[in-house]
Amino acid sequence: MPGGATLQAGDIHHVWNVFFLAAIGVAGTVYILIFWCILRYRRRSNALPPQFRHQAVVETACAVAALLIVAGLFALSYAAEVRIERTDPRPAATVRVTGFDWSWRFEYAGGGPTVTGTPDHPPVLVVPAGRPVHITITSADVDHAFFVPGFLFKRDAMPGLVSSFDLVVTRPGTYRGECAEFCGLDHAAMNFTVSAVTPQAYEQWLRTQRTAGRLLQFHGGRPQSRPAGAAASGVGAP
Amino acid sequence: MSTAAALPVPGPRIGLLGWLTTTNHKHIGILYMTTTLGFFALAGLMALVIRADLTVPNHPIVGRQTYAELFTLHGTAMIFLVIAPFGLGIANYILPLQIGAPDMAYPRLNALSYWLFLLGGLVVMSGLLTRDGAAAAGWVAYAPLSTTGSPGSGMDLWIVGLLMVSASSIMTAINLIATTVLYRAPGMIMWRIPVFCWDMVVTSLLILMAFPPLAATLAMLLIDRRLGGHAFDPSQGGSAVVYQHLFWFFGHPEVYVMVLPYFGMITEIIPVFSRKPVFGYTAFVLTTLAIAGLSMAVWAHHMFTTGAVLNPFFSAMSLLIAVPTGIKYVNWVGTMWRGSIVFPTAMLFAVGFLLNFLIGGVTGVMLASPPIDFWTEDTYFIVAHMHYVLGGGSLFAVFAAVYYWFPKITGVMLRESWGRLQFWLVFVGFNATFWPMHLLGLWGMQRRVVTYPALPGWGAANLVATLGSAVLAVGVLVFLWNLWVSLRHRVPAGPDPWGGYTLEWATASPPPEFNFETIPPIRSERPVFDLHHPRASS
Repeated sequence: MPGGATLQAGDIHHVWNVFFLAAIGVAGTVYILIFWCILRYRRRSNALPPQFRHQAVVETACAVAALLIVAGLFALSYAAEVRIERTDPRPAATVRVTGFDWSWRFEYAGGGPTVTGTPDHPPVLVVPAGRPVHITITSADVDHAFFVPGFLFKRDAMPGLVSSFDLVVTRPGTYRGECAEFCGLDHAAMNFTVSAVTPQAYEQWLRTQRTAGRLLQFHGGRPQSRPAGAAASGVGAP
Repeated sequence: MSTAAALPVPGPRIGLLGWLTTTNHKHIGILYMTTTLGFFALAGLMALVIRADLTVPNHPIVGRQTYAELFTLHGTAMIFLVIAPFGLGIANYILPLQIGAPDMAYPRLNALSYWLFLLGGLVVMSGLLTRDGAAAAGWVAYAPLSTTGSPGSGMDLWIVGLLMVSASSIMTAINLIATTVLYRAPGMIMWRIPVFCWDMVVTSLLILMAFPPLAATLAMLLIDRRLGGHAFDPSQGGSAVVYQHLFWFFGHPEVYVMVLPYFGMITEIIPVFSRKPVFGYTAFVLTTLAIAGLSMAVWAHHMFTTGAVLNPFFSAMSLLIAVPTGIKYVNWVGTMWRGSIVFPTAMLFAVGFLLNFLIGGVTGVMLASPPIDFWTEDTYFIVAHMHYVLGGGSLFAVFAAVYYWFPKITGVMLRESWGRLQFWLVFVGFNATFWPMHLLGLWGMQRRVVTYPALPGWGAANLVATLGSAVLAVGVLVFLWNLWVSLRHRVPAGPDPWGGYTLEWATASPPPEFNFETIPPIRSERPVFDLHHPRASS
């Protein structure tokens, strides 16, 4: 499996690799034992085999070995999770993500733009590459989940709950995003794109967005900086 | 076989009224098992439509609403109406026999349990007949999707139906515990009851702890939907997070309700066909108790990605549960070790269980790590994992149990030739269907989508899965054919066709109304073996 494109994904992928090797080691050993029994101990005569019932040493040794393995795995997983969930006190960008039936709204903090998508026009989340991006996430109606497979990461978007995490995208590029929590009819179409650009290009993008927003307001158009999802967010209500 | 001829003609002919009014544990067990077979066929057909829909990218063959109803009812039926109640059904038949009892402790309560179960299942399915269609919020029915997001009456029928099923399960659990505690034959102390009975007692304890919270949660859902309640409405101070806590507080013990009985069944089957006692009886019982205890403290590992739970605690408990589960493999391998093993279909399925469940087990350990969940939660990796546990595990054990106990229940043997063919079709079909889903999940294909984009590998993996499901379906058809042929052209089984260990093999097949003419002396967990090998048992 290829690694992910964020700093956090490096940790996730490392945890995966160790768990995967442990799984192969344990399952491989057990498979060998099972196949050994199947092949070696087929019934060849009618004699009754030895009727042993216990082997306390074997049983205890296996229990202790299993306990040590899971303790090691826990330590690794816990340390990685602490790093993954660490947030930078001075993020380069802060975005409030809101899931709604059936698209996403990205609101940039500090007077930045608001990007609202529809199932037919998935929104783009533009972030500066190599810099910490702080994301707070919630939902306007039912449970959703913000999932970027290329980042090996997801976080649920739930109504009445705001949770947050940091992403540092290490490689500029565009990444496919999807909703991972079933949320109704158009669940499969609730996609988005993450576009990680150089910090200079990001600043440039912010400036164009501000200008575009002002121009739209000036001409009486529909400004992008308004929460255009206001109507859409009511979809889940009866 | 010669004694079989002298015994009464097999096949209880009690007539329609007899079946409707029976309180005999054996008849109720048969009703349970045939009902679960019906729901299994229905839920299996739904799965085939789901797989057909996903065969190629961007070309769904059913509508979004239909698709949501299909995966909701498939999951609901397999969990609540097939895997869990089959365990209760076979326990109904076998457990009183194994402990030397004439019937269950509360026969009329037993009948009520069955009829509530059947009615509840039909009520859940009746949503299909309503104008807005059946429930379509997934088997987990997360609020608020299942409250404000699902206005149709199909959702209400789903809730009411499952309330009946949970009431039924609670009554059966009480009955199984009471029967085991009160009705054991003389000499059958608790440390001599067969491991299957131990596992059913522990399963029943889990039901008593997990199903009342489920019933309460379902009642709260109904109150939110129809009586103006706000338990799960965040805009009124309710909580969507609390719904998930309540649901999984039931939902994870429920996984063990669907697994422990099957651990018990294959732990009856493997020793008999290895001609050895179970290796580590005491360890087996203690680890079953440990799994049950730990399973009450792992529920929020289904919520690692909410950002609202204490992930390390639930991660530690979930990893810990791998230890007693791993010891079970020591029991099973130790039982086969230096044995004298034969492989009739029942044993083939038991070995298939060992091979498949191990994959579900190690992916389960991976999923106990929150960082791995951040990646794989709600993807096809989870679909693969839980089908390896409940399909490759529990369902294979269902088939093992059917082949093993069918002669006892009907008095006739299932055909071994069809059985072997079925095993290979089901084994290959199952692995072809679900193994590629691991990859799809790691590539990022999320669950419960009606269609998916044509990304590299996605089309091929889905195509293999769909073809696998067709092979699996042919295997199930062979099974149904085997049932039909074996019941039409009867090959008498006799009281003990396998050289069984436990008391059900000390009576006729099928057993007389109150089960036993005489009971052999009980000096270990395998009295019938002791009877036939007085010198081998110390």
